[in-house]
Amino acid sequence: MTDPFVPLARALAARGVRYVLIGVSGANFYAPSGGARFVTEDYDLFLPLDARNLVNAWAACDDLGLELWLSNEPLDKPRDKWLADHIVERRAVTRVTGPEALQVDFTLVMKGFEFGTVWNEHRVFLTGGVQVPTARLVHIVTSKQAAGRLKDNLFLATHHDALEQLLKKPD
Amino acid sequence: MTPELEEVLRGLERATAFAKSYRFEMTEDYLQLIAQVEAMPRNQPGTDKSYVWRAQRAYKESFKNVRLLPREP
Repeated sequence: MTDPFVPLARALAARGVRYVLIGVSGANFYAPSGGARFVTEDYDLFLPLDARNLVNAWAACDDLGLELWLSNEPLDKPRDKWLADHIVERRAVTRVTGPEALQVDFTLVMKGFEFGTVWNEHRVFLTGGVQVPTARLVHIVTSKQAAGRLKDNLFLATHHDALEQLLKKPD
Repeated sequence: MTPELEEVLRGLERATAFAKSYRFEMTEDYLQLIAQVEAMPRNQPGTDKSYVWRAQRAYKESFKNVRLLPREP
């Protein structure tokens, strides 16, 4: 068994899609041990406000036969630049679903950050032999703090506590 | 409703109220921990993170055979 995200990451790379992994899945890549890792089913990918790039991301999903959704409805076809322009204008999220409970969000918004800032400092990690551009951990947690949703606050409090326990030596 | 159950429900209400009002504050201490984590050799560019998904899957699998045991008196 391999990570169901791996085929999509490979397809995105093949089509030259620019994105960075953010959210809890991104934070998990940095976890110093299981103690600071969080169970999550979804991957949040931050994409630039670039309709062509979004079209390529959708095409990568089509290559793999994955489902694309917009607000719980299947994403319209043709999935062309005209449609992507409207999605970019609205900063809407397109959701990808697939086998093995794969769930990936293509988001055009990362609270508190422009894409370029995150992209310029991203790190590339490998999973299943595929490169995954990943946002810096400091950007991920800062964005979560800025978003301020209940689930973000609880994540940050738990994450801080876990890092303290793992990294701080006892007095 | 038993007093024990009532107390459990009151505890849940208190926890819910706290969670709704809670606001995490970014501190210098937390940011230093983040910097420490980012500087770890295992978090440098090019590192293989395949184990992250495998570990999460194993963790979830470990709950498959969990069963609730009656509380001992």
